[in-house]
Amino acid sequence: MELLVLVWRNLTARLTRSTFTWLGIAVATASMVLFLSFGEGLRHALAAEMGNMGPQIRVVAEGTDAFSPPLPELPPQMFDQIKQLAPELGIKKVIPAVVMFRGGFDPASSFLFYGLPPGADPRDFYPKAQVAAGRIDPHPNGAVVGSKKAELNHLTMGRELRLSREVKLPVVGVLKPAGSMLDSFIFVPLRTLQKVLGTKNYGVFLVQLDPDAKPEEVAQKLEAAIPGIDAQSTTEALKFAERAMRIGDLIRFGISLVALVVGGLLVANTVMMSVYERTREFGVMRAIGARRRFIFGLVLSEALFLALAGGISGVIAGYVGSALINLYTQHAVGLALSAVTPRLVFFSMGIALALGLIAGLIPARNASRIPVTEALGRI
Amino acid sequence: MLRAEHLSKHYRQGEATITALADFTYDFPPGATAVVGPSGSGKTTLLNLLAGFDRPSAGSVELAAAKLETLDEDGRADVRLRHAGFVFQSWNLLPTLTALENVSFPLLLAGVGRSERNQRALALLEKMGLAARADHRPNQLSGGEQQRVAIARALALEPAVLFADEPTGNLDSAAGAQVLDLLLEHASGERRLVLVTHDLQIAARAQRVLHLRDGRLTKIEEL
Repeated sequence: MELLVLVWRNLTARLTRSTFTWLGIAVATASMVLFLSFGEGLRHALAAEMGNMGPQIRVVAEGTDAFSPPLPELPPQMFDQIKQLAPELGIKKVIPAVVMFRGGFDPASSFLFYGLPPGADPRDFYPKAQVAAGRIDPHPNGAVVGSKKAELNHLTMGRELRLSREVKLPVVGVLKPAGSMLDSFIFVPLRTLQKVLGTKNYGVFLVQLDPDAKPEEVAQKLEAAIPGIDAQSTTEALKFAERAMRIGDLIRFGISLVALVVGGLLVANTVMMSVYERTREFGVMRAIGARRRFIFGLVLSEALFLALAGGISGVIAGYVGSALINLYTQHAVGLALSAVTPRLVFFSMGIALALGLIAGLIPARNASRIPVTEALGRI
Repeated sequence: MLRAEHLSKHYRQGEATITALADFTYDFPPGATAVVGPSGSGKTTLLNLLAGFDRPSAGSVELAAAKLETLDEDGRADVRLRHAGFVFQSWNLLPTLTALENVSFPLLLAGVGRSERNQRALALLEKMGLAARADHRPNQLSGGEQQRVAIARALALEPAVLFADEPTGNLDSAAGAQVLDLLLEHASGERRLVLVTHDLQIAARAQRVLHLRDGRLTKIEEL
């Protein structure tokens, strides 16, 4: 009969109440794990994405939102300007491209088209891209489809893909699964996409550099030389995305904190009620010779035990939830967007225990300070 | 040793001051001492002060060479653990623990190892005729059995002083007699039993009786 046994007996003596409190903490922790697992998953996916990408600099029109497809706002003169600067800045290749997004509410009805110029193909974006069927180059008049897109929309070889009322393209190639965003792209000839969009402008220039050129420096020089553009190296993009994700983490943590605070209040309420009900017991313990610290430790241990049990269950539930989400996102976009990392597990457990500790402090203090005579009704 | 000197306890009730115990001085000799008196005579207050449950308004209590009024709450708890045992009218067993665990609870507080704890607690329960009920919770025991478990718990650390407050008050006469025998059996040699009761027949089994009235010691009767 050690302290833990006493804690267990006291909690199981009020089984329904303890169970509901444990469930409350578990749900709160699970929601935090799930919310934050998106940040972790996105971070992993983005790092993998950036690692797979070929172009070292991405040039878009100034003010373009980093997370939306760029609009065709770059005039053809800008392409010429960059070409002129190429030898001086160590630029190996410039690929002008147009991006078109046809969005639906689910991945199966969303389409992201990349219009590539003659001489460019998906390997210029993702050097490891490989074709599973047909050819990898969409020119002169076809579409090369990422593996996940092909699977979701049944885009088999030869099937017609309608870009607008007038423009249709046959599928001439299907790519092998790459485990990245590539799996959801559709590559088409640049002129075709410009025709669909009714423009001669470009949306993005993908700039490949000589091996000894420094991407950040070249990006800065490009921005200085050509007004109205944003040139971003892969590293900068990664840094920017990391900042954005931190903000996202904070927002998600804020939301999950509400659930956690409710969980903490549940523990405080359960332990406080238990203290009131057991006033006499604590009086007996003190009368027999228990020190205040013993009572304090006993009550605090009960709160911590509830928080620990709820935290562990919550992390397990969060892990299962994250796996289910990944099952869906992997099916839908070919990416695992949720990840329960060790640091997330430690963080969530730490928060759950800290809440248990805070929630248990006041009841524990109250229990340890009840006068013996009052507790035993001996006044 | 158990000695009280000029022990007083006053309570404030609004503007009025109520004296629950006034100038009580007595050196409890070894053996059984009964404290009797009508309701409100100060019996419970006296026991609270002797056991260090409460602080006196004036005077001092010496229990096993410790001056209780000089000690803080934890200090008094330590003295109680090592030198005093308690038997209450309403048994006051810990409801979530078995009889064996209740008896070994003071041993746990005193830092005695698990196997020795269980051994000593079981021996005490055997002495109380309750070995077969060792794994029962208090709500599975009769009143008499619960009080015998409480006595076993009070004796777990072989205290020098045993305090019993109306120990037979909630028991039928047969169970009451058995409990009283066990308590008096302990009050041998240098050990002391302070038995608070309003029942003069029970008090008559002690070696001396202290009579309290209106918070004052009015008579000491040697039997």
